[in-house]
Amino acid sequence: MRRSRGGGDEDAPRQNGSSGRRRVEQQHGDGEEAGPDFSPAGQQEEDDDNDLGLRREIRSKYRDLINSVQQNREDMLSPSNNRLTEVLEEANKLFKDVRQAREAALDAQLLVVATDLGKEKASQLFSEGSAFDSATFAEHLPSQFVFPNTLPGQMGSRLLELSFMGLNRLEDEEDEQNRGSGGYLPRDAWHRLARRVQCCFKTAPSFHYMMGSFYAEPPPPKPRIERQRKAPSKEAKRIMPTQLKKMEESHQEATEKEVERILGYLKSYHQDDPSPISYYEFVIDPNSFSRTVENIFHTSFLIRDGLARIHMDKDRLPCIEPVEEEDVDAAGSFSRQQCIVSISPKTWRELIEVFEIKHSIIRPPETQNE
Amino acid sequence: MTQRKRLSNSPSLSQNKRQSGSFMTQGDSEDATFTQPSTSQVQRGLEKVTSAQVDQKTAEVVQYFLVKDQKKIPVRRAELVKNVVKEYRNIYPEILKRAARIFDQVFGLKLVEIDNRNHMYILVNNLETTDSASPNEWLTNPKMGLLFVILSVIFMKGGVVRENLIWNTLKKLRVDQGEKHEEFGDVRRVVTDEFVRQRYLEYLRIPHTEPLEHEFRWGQRADKEVSKAKILEFMGQLHEQEPQSWTQQYRDAYSLSQGAQATTSSLR
Repeated sequence: MRRSRGGGDEDAPRQNGSSGRRRVEQQHGDGEEAGPDFSPAGQQEEDDDNDLGLRREIRSKYRDLINSVQQNREDMLSPSNNRLTEVLEEANKLFKDVRQAREAALDAQLLVVATDLGKEKASQLFSEGSAFDSATFAEHLPSQFVFPNTLPGQMGSRLLELSFMGLNRLEDEEDEQNRGSGGYLPRDAWHRLARRVQCCFKTAPSFHYMMGSFYAEPPPPKPRIERQRKAPSKEAKRIMPTQLKKMEESHQEATEKEVERILGYLKSYHQDDPSPISYYEFVIDPNSFSRTVENIFHTSFLIRDGLARIHMDKDRLPCIEPVEEEDVDAAGSFSRQQCIVSISPKTWRELIEVFEIKHSIIRPPETQNE
Repeated sequence: MTQRKRLSNSPSLSQNKRQSGSFMTQGDSEDATFTQPSTSQVQRGLEKVTSAQVDQKTAEVVQYFLVKDQKKIPVRRAELVKNVVKEYRNIYPEILKRAARIFDQVFGLKLVEIDNRNHMYILVNNLETTDSASPNEWLTNPKMGLLFVILSVIFMKGGVVRENLIWNTLKKLRVDQGEKHEEFGDVRRVVTDEFVRQRYLEYLRIPHTEPLEHEFRWGQRADKEVSKAKILEFMGQLHEQEPQSWTQQYRDAYSLSQGAQATTSSLR
């Protein structure tokens, strides 16, 4: 709106002038100023048009006026303030020399600002009863900060007293401007005010755990927790596999070693006496049932890997013999059979008796000897 | 009592209608996952659970409200259903009814729905406040002093003010939006964010302003919690004037507290 008005007014300063006059008339009730004293547009002198200095001055003055209205808006709103009238008078004086579109546009802009202000001032006039002035409110309010239960009338002198007593020395460090506008506020001013006005609030008392509680704000800690958790879990993941590998390795190594050791016994026994070895004689340790079980377990690997084979002799008793190196591959092609060997301490003892086993073929590993 | 019931019933009907309407047009509302079960659905749902189970759920809801209320942020129905009610959502109305009864009879609080579109609830003190100092920590919170100043100015200025007026008034009280306040910290954030989220204030852009300007109004929580009559009384003392001398504000304050029930219902 501002722009269109400014743009269209290039050759019509008269319109602008008349709107300026209207402005003043609008405000007439507010102040006592006399009628406008600007000259009608017809009296312009042509040579002014080219006076750049004057043009700049006019624009700058318009801008100053607009700025001053915008910045002092709240003060100008106060019913007792006559500044708006003064601004309009100044603008009317400036308008006498307005020749160019740019200046007219600035005039229009000022009009917008002034009208807005005028509208608000008017709304104050129309409101019934007393008007409320926030500035006065702000001036009175600090009294409640200092003596929450005294009436404002008594306040002035006591405030003065306090400041004379040097209680406002805190203020001295603050800048002058602040001191001027704010006056003296004690440290717990806002607490006092809150206490004073709590009767206006029907706020529900908030609930607290007697022993305290988690700080009831989940969003901030959440990502922190996640981040913390992520880091160690990654490490843990990294550690876990290595640990497992180690365990498996060592376990497997132990088993492999044991299996190889047993194969060694089997081979050396076979070399000494190529006749089939009774399976039971081979695996049974007459001194230890658990060693016997272990031997059976480890021997089964030899069978699985095709390094030894078990067959039944003519008495239907199992015999074991190592498979020769060159036969190992061929053994793979044989159809394999699986069987489960079960042994209990009772059968173990019977076997020892029947086979008359006096000593074990597989000697217990040294490391496990106690 | 019956009248009150009728009043609070009829808006809930229209509210359902409105909700289904917005459901059709928007479809992305938070409530999309939850539609209020009908009375018969609730009845059927209640047959499947024991009374103890419902009480247990109700207790959880009550606790949730109490903890949430520490920050004075309203509770949304959607979050309540999602976080607490969960598989009991089919009997949600019954649970909420029981929770409201517990708040009323045990805690002296009132469970109020402040926003019908988004279904938000707050707790309001149902007991008479006394002038004597109460151990209510929240109320002696200095922020309440700040809030009081802002609400008073808005109320006395007819219900809506430009933000500049608020900042200018606060500046005179040594609270500057650009500076860190020793009590409030970032005042701008407290006023335009915290108070707004708590629904004490509304902070809205004024259309067609260049540069951008905002205005403040009372939020829905303030409407329920703050007594305009008491503010006016305070103003009277402060300015050494009769509260009646502010005719408009006086009428506003007393018409509302007289017909508070009717007004709040019609607001729904």
